[in-house]
Amino acid sequence: MSNVLVVIPAYNEEENIERVVGNLIKNYPEFDYVVVNDGSKDRTAEICRRNGYNLLDLPVNLGLAGGFQAGFKYAWRNHYQYAVQFDGDGQHRPEYIRAMREKISEGYDIVIGSRFVTKKKPKSMRMLGGNMISLAIRFTTGLKIKDPTSGMRMFSRKMIEEFALSLNYGPEPDTISYLIKQGAKVTEVQVAMDERTAGVSYLNPVNAVKYMSKMLFSILIIQNFRKRDKRFKRKTGGNEG
Amino acid sequence: MTTVLRVVLILMSVLVLVVMLRKIRQSKARIEDSMFWVFFALLLVLLSVFPQIATWLSDLVGTMSTSNFIFLLMIFLLLVKSFSMSMRVSQLETKLKELTQKIAIDDNELEKRLSPENFHLAEEEEKMK
Repeated sequence: MSNVLVVIPAYNEEENIERVVGNLIKNYPEFDYVVVNDGSKDRTAEICRRNGYNLLDLPVNLGLAGGFQAGFKYAWRNHYQYAVQFDGDGQHRPEYIRAMREKISEGYDIVIGSRFVTKKKPKSMRMLGGNMISLAIRFTTGLKIKDPTSGMRMFSRKMIEEFALSLNYGPEPDTISYLIKQGAKVTEVQVAMDERTAGVSYLNPVNAVKYMSKMLFSILIIQNFRKRDKRFKRKTGGNEG
Repeated sequence: MTTVLRVVLILMSVLVLVVMLRKIRQSKARIEDSMFWVFFALLLVLLSVFPQIATWLSDLVGTMSTSNFIFLLMIFLLLVKSFSMSMRVSQLETKLKELTQKIAIDDNELEKRLSPENFHLAEEEEKMK
């Protein structure tokens, strides 16, 4: 058994899932994985079963946060040291997981697979959103996260526990910001990402604006009022309060 | 308060009461949940039958007219109700999420146990019995 679990949330990914998981199994057998089928309406679960993939089949759709958490509960139960959040649509590349594991074993809690550590950010509308979230995180925590919206992140064992067992721990920049404030050690590793090859992206302009405002509101206001569960406080030596 | 408003309020209250009691008879609403509506309806009946109570309260608070006070009271009660409903939806969603995740994880373990390559596990379990 590997000490790294790749958590692959999938919602209506029948066109991608076979390629993504197949690649992982064939070329990266040193990592364990679990596909979380988030109540897909298409044949995602069927394809996984036919191929004998390790599958968590949620009977109803919970949304990304719920599916992600199910995967982390699995990781927690099965004693994995590290867990990676990995998209089921093929935009993340597994060859960077090794580098992320090396980095996290230096003692970090969260390692973000970032597109812009060494590479420059292109100036586009899409990047504007990421920049604003970066700025908000920097403003509230003092830490510069260059790619906060990257969906490829690796978490340590104590983070796995916290994400698995608590409420309001979505795999989003606001949770990261909150955890940095609480004393979690977060860093970034340069990765490259692919464009999604099949299926439809959730990211249209309306959703992007909604997402952005929710994140900014959450990071700048709501996260300041959260109280952390005592269980987790001592583990990261976080601030009081 | 005009007589028309009082009659309308009484009719509305009776309607709410009848509908709510019917839902309980048909086992479509829990008794706990009906209590708010029954209380709400009775309050409206009380205020329409004895408008002096509302007038007195209205003077006390300083609203322009008795009917304004009735509106204010209803808005306030509904706000409180909708707040508590919102809290309950949050809790229900959390519970639903927990259950869904548990089902998926249990299924996964069951399927692993039943799969041919893990057949020895099942055999061992049989022996244990």
